Formats: sequence, structure tokens, C-alpha cells
Amino acid sequence: MTTLDGLAQGLEVALQPSVLIYSLLGAVLGTLVGVLPGIGAMAAITLLLPITYYISSQAALVMLAAVYYGAQYGGAVASILLRLPGTPQSAVTTLDGYPMAQQGRAGVALFTAMISSFAGSMLGIVILVVLAGWLGQLATSFGAAEYTAMMVMGLVAASTIGEGRPAKSLAMVVLGLLLGCVGTDVNSGAQRFTFGQVQLMDGINLVALAMGLFGLAEVIGNIRKAERDGPPPRVSLRQLVPARDDVRRLFAPITRGTLLGGFFGALPGTGSTISSFLSYAMERRVARRPERFGKGAIEGIAGPEAANNSASITAFVPTLTLGIPGDPIMALMLGALVIHGIQPGPMMLEANPDMFWGLVVSFGIGNLFLLILNLPLIGIWVAMLRIPFRWLYPAIIVFVCLGVYSVRGSTFDIVMVAGIGAIGYALSVAAFSPALLLLGFVLGPLIETNLRRALLISRGDPMIFLERPVACAFVIATLALLALPLVGMIRARRAARA
Amino acid sequence: MTDRHRRLVRAALLGGSLIATSAHAQDWPSEPVHVFVGFPAGSSPDTIARLVAEPLAEALGQPVVVENRPGAGGVIGVQQMLARGQDDYSFGITINGPLTTAARLIPDLGYDPQADIAPVGLIATSPLVLAVAADFPADSAEAFLEAARAEPEAISYGSVGEGSGAHLTAELFAGAAGVELFHIPFQSYAEVTTSILGGEIDSGFMAPSAALPQVEAGTMKMLGITSAEAFAQVPDVPVLAGQAGLPEDFRAELWNAFIAPAGTDPAIVARLNEELGRILQDPTVTERLLAMGWQVQPGTPEDLTKRIADDTALWGGVIDGLPAAN
Repeated sequence: MTTLDGLAQGLEVALQPSVLIYSLLGAVLGTLVGVLPGIGAMAAITLLLPITYYISSQAALVMLAAVYYGAQYGGAVASILLRLPGTPQSAVTTLDGYPMAQQGRAGVALFTAMISSFAGSMLGIVILVVLAGWLGQLATSFGAAEYTAMMVMGLVAASTIGEGRPAKSLAMVVLGLLLGCVGTDVNSGAQRFTFGQVQLMDGINLVALAMGLFGLAEVIGNIRKAERDGPPPRVSLRQLVPARDDVRRLFAPITRGTLLGGFFGALPGTGSTISSFLSYAMERRVARRPERFGKGAIEGIAGPEAANNSASITAFVPTLTLGIPGDPIMALMLGALVIHGIQPGPMMLEANPDMFWGLVVSFGIGNLFLLILNLPLIGIWVAMLRIPFRWLYPAIIVFVCLGVYSVRGSTFDIVMVAGIGAIGYALSVAAFSPALLLLGFVLGPLIETNLRRALLISRGDPMIFLERPVACAFVIATLALLALPLVGMIRARRAARA
Repeated sequence: MTDRHRRLVRAALLGGSLIATSAHAQDWPSEPVHVFVGFPAGSSPDTIARLVAEPLAEALGQPVVVENRPGAGGVIGVQQMLARGQDDYSFGITINGPLTTAARLIPDLGYDPQADIAPVGLIATSPLVLAVAADFPADSAEAFLEAARAEPEAISYGSVGEGSGAHLTAELFAGAAGVELFHIPFQSYAEVTTSILGGEIDSGFMAPSAALPQVEAGTMKMLGITSAEAFAQVPDVPVLAGQAGLPEDFRAELWNAFIAPAGTDPAIVARLNEELGRILQDPTVTERLLAMGWQVQPGTPEDLTKRIADDTALWGGVIDGLPAAN
């Protein structure tokens, strides 16, 4: 069967009225859980899973998938308006989105996020359709050595995203790496920094960390300001649309973000959080005036938002073509398929082409729904800024607690988020970048696990990182990234001398 | 009914429950029943719990709420069940780990599997298969072990973590066959599969349903299975016991069981065991479990008690032999 036949069959499936309705429902729910801080796609899909026993397998999967990628749209909203990442993936969006909102450009920032999300998803679907086979192979050809080298490169590349002095940035990355050590050691089963708390055996809850560092810290920081200086200006529809100059600046970041996200999404275990961080780092690096970043650069929203949406689409590749879920949410999707008697894996395209192509086409339809749904909502979201602090902040705290609790039903995590919030406030007072801490926390365990695994596989021989060509390429790129600033410094010194 | 009446009835019920537990058991359940599961929704233990919960709710005439409390290999679920106390409405469905090996592997477990748990009944068991890539030179367990004997630690295997069923099963297998295999821990069967397909590691003991799709696609093969008899989901895979120098009684199975906190009214435990036995006879339940790789294994609470004791001893012996244990 050719791709075109497949798409035709997919259209037939995805355009069934019942499937369309569930797709819309999923998109609405996804947007909602994305907007609500902390309550992510994971919690929503967990709740919906038992219900899907009672609807057709196609409608069920289409709905769950729409919740998943829909959450990526909603995640940006609170990040931009309140510096409260709706999902960990959108933590990066706070870096430039929130400054834009404070400059009265919240509408433009939201519009950029939505358009970039949409473009990233649509291009992601193209990547999925054209390269599904190749991306599937990519997943198995990427071993522990490749992951290690790539993640180290990512860490080095992204360590520059913070503001301020390099020593401060480094401190945050290292703190993040250390926090990532908490929990059960994969290789020995030993308990690290758990202080006898079984609740810490699986590590610190990522959602609690993101919510505490960003959301709660922001709330605490604003308590001292009694009230806003007058209500924020009204936003007319015209103000939502970016200036022509802004639009022109979006194309390149969206394209780069999509490609980056598409690549990382297809690799099991990396996911959209990392792709949005790396996209941000990349935009900053290629920018002609990197000093604009962190102060409301529109590229800093476009790239990451395109990246995490593109990643959320290609994340389906290993799940559907290999039966290998890349993250816990994909494991849930796989579970949903199995419940409906469909075995995802290498045989799925042959055994259940209607499900495979139906899903692919539904991605496109679902993203259209999301765009149509979200653009008119921008005005409403911006109006949220007019809510007095005394109402808004208690509500935020309630939602943060709800969201953190929804991850695994643990009251311990709520206490954690309170503590992390206090630390986050202290960090922001001292002008440390919480985004870098989060980066270290996300990448640290991945690097450690894969480094140790690679060395086990090579029986302790570090040459594994140089003998495997892809790993070697990443190592060279990392060295180049480290050398670049040195070269710049030497040149500057020579120029000064001359 | 007026308020005063209601208060009288409640007082009578309370008094009655002090005198005779059976009277309480007869009224049971009068409110929703909670079943704690130590794994997230969509996981295999969760799906089993939901398969059982639905017919159980019908039989009891009260909702049965599945409470997911994931973490620490299922231990959190058991802890949370115990934290609710013996209120006769909190139960758990758990895999073998938290009842057998956890006491050895987790220093701050917070409960004693022997003293704090009242077994209700076994639900289902699952063997593991020894899986290798399709192009792996050995075609049988015999050839696999021969290669392993030729050079100690030359053949590597992946597991889903230190102390996991997959890890301990592989060590049990290696110990029984007198070979040394090289352990590389992963976090999920998905990762182990990827690594075998990518040629990084040689083998792995894994759930039949995790290996099956790859076997059907011709990218992996299964050399043997750890159950005592051929397993219905993969009937062609040879039983390892008695093969290639392995003892006749070689057997390693993962299981899922229904448990209650110790101190739960024995009449309620008996009732639950009875309902469970009935549910596990339903062919639709049996078939759905088998499709997921689980063979129903109903039995008495005493059977489960024995199973816990036997497996605690079996795996304890394997853990004693691990370098990390000493």
C-alpha cells in the first residue's frame, strides 16, 4: 500500500462523525489540562483510559492522542501570562513569553505560541508520514553511547540560555544535576539522598519541581507588591496579530524548532521537554543579537513551541512502528491500544492500517481544531491578567497543588512543591536561572544512566564514545561548542592589543 | 426515616459490630471498596486490577474504585493501602515484588510482608521468556548456555532494573545452569527490546507479550520459557526446566495477587476470595488476561501465603548470591 492509499484510508477513518467528535473533545480537554498548571496530559489520559473501554478503538485512540498534543498548545498560556508553566515542556516559554506579557505584548506572544505550535505539529506530521520508516530505525540505532554524547552536547549547548554570569549558570546546572541524582540508583538499586523516604525512591517529581521553581516562586515574589499598578491595557484583536516584522522573524525559528523536535521526539526517552530547551538554546546561538533573549524575543517562543509540538507528533513513531513507547504517556497509549486488542509494533501497519493511518490523519484534523479553538481564546486568556492578585494567586496555588497531586496521588509531593517554591523564590531574588536548574534535572539522569550503561556495554572501555561514528560526531560538536567562546576571547584580546 | 431513627439504627449497628463480626460481614459492603495499585493507569497491574474490579463491583453491589499510587516498584501502593488501616474497605492488587523481594531490597520498607498483609488470593501468573535478536548465533537454550560456558560474562542480558523479576530470573537461570552472564540494567522492557534490536546487548528475560510483536516481525526469537509447562500465549516456546542441564523444577514466575491489610475481618477475606475465584472462571476475563500474557491462577488465601513464603525464600537465595548484597 502506498502512502497515498494509506492517507486516503486514514481520511475515511478520521472523518467518521464519531471519531471527529472525540477528536474535538480530546483537543478541548488537552487545551484545558495544558492551561491548568501541573495537570498534564498524563493525568488526563489516565482518567480517560477506563472510559475508552466503552468506545470504538479508533475514537478512543484519536481522543487520547488529541489530549496529548493538545496539552502542548495549552501549556504555553500560563507560561506567558503568569510565568507558570502549564507543562514542564513549556517552562522554556516563560523565558521570553513572560517578559513580553509584562511589556503588554501578551497577545502577540500567545499568538506566536499558537501559530508556532500549529506549524510545528503540521510539519511534524509531514515528517512522520515521509520518514516514519527511517525514524523507526533511528530509535534502534541510537544506543547508550549515542544518547550520552548527544545529551552532553545538549547540556553544553543549552547551558548558555540563562542570564547573568557564567558561574551562576553553571551553579544552577550542577544543582539540577545533583537533584537528578535523588532516587534509586538504576545499576545497584542503592537509595541515593532519599533519607529513608520511600516517596523519593523514584526521584523528585518533575512537575513539582517545575511548578515550584516557576509558578510558586513567582507568586511568592509578587506578594510584596500589594496590587498591580493599574489594570493592564485592553487588548484589541489587532494587537494580537504580530507586526509584519515579527511574522518574518518566525519562519526560521519554526522550521529549526520543528526539525529539532521531530528528531528528538522520535528518539525514545528524550521527549519534548529536552527538544524545547535545545531549540531555545539554538535560537539564542544563531541570533544576531542574542542579548535580546530573556527580554521578550519572539524567536524564543516560536522555536521551542514548534519543537515540542513537532516532538509530540513524532513521539508516536517508535510507539506505533516498534511497539516501543518513548515516555510514560506513550506507554499509556500503548496500553490503550492493547486494551482494544491492537498490538502496536512492527506488524501494526500491516495488521491494522486503518488504525495507523486514521491516527495520522486525525493528528492533522485535531491540530486544525486546536488552532481554531485557541486563536479566539487568546483574548480571554489575556483578560485573565485583569483578575486582581488577591483572587488570582490563591487560585494558582490551588491549581498547582491539584496538578502536582494528579501526577501520582501523593500528598508528599504537595509538601515538596511548597519547599521547592520557597527555594525558587530565594533563587530568583539572587538572580539565578531556574530554567537551567530544570535543564540539569531533566538531562542529568539521562546522561548518567546512558553513560554508565554505555560503559557496561563496552565493559569499561571509554573508546566506545569515539568508535561509534554518531557518538563521535556529537563528541566533536561538543568540543567545538566549548572551544568557540575561547576562540572568540582570543580574537577579542588580539584585537584589543592591535 | 427521621434523624432520630437514623441515629438509633447507627447506634444499633455499631453495638452489633462490637459483638459479632459476622453481622458486620453480612452488611458488608455498605460503601465503595478501594483497591490500591502500585502502578500507573494503563500498566499491566492496573489493567488486571480494572478487569477484576468491574465484575467485583457487580458482585458486591458497591463501586470498586481502583486507586493508582505508583512508585518504588509497587511498594507505594501497598504502603498506601496499609496507611488507610484495616477499615475493611481498603485492599490492594500487587505484583510479587512488594510481598517477596522488597523486604530484602528496600531498607525502609515500612511494613512486614509476613505480619502486615492478609493474603486474599492469587489472580494470575506470568512466566518470562529468554529473548535474543533474530541474528543471534544460538537457536536454543542449549546453544545459548554452551556459548555462555565458553567464556564467562561474554553474553550480556538486559533487565528492568537491579532486583527486578527480570534480573533475578536471569541470575536464577545462570546460577542453575552454572554460567556467568553479564547484567546491564534498564528501566523498562521497551528499553531492553530497543537495545537487543540495536545489537547493544545479547539477551533478556522478558514478559512474553513484550517480545511477541518483535518475534512475529522476525526481528527477535525466544529460546525458552520459565514456566513449568508450555504457556498458552506462546505455545511453541520450549520450557526451560529439564533442558540444557537445568533442574526439572526450574521455574520462575511473576504474579499478581489480591491482598488486604492484616486484621481485616476474616469473613470479608473469605467473601472476596470466593468472588475472585468466580471472576477468574469467566472466560472473557481469562482470555483478556491471556492476551496480555497472564495465566489466571485462582486459589485459596493459604495458597497465596505459601506462594509468598516460597518465593521469598527462592528470590532471597538469588539476592544472597548477588555481589551488591554483600
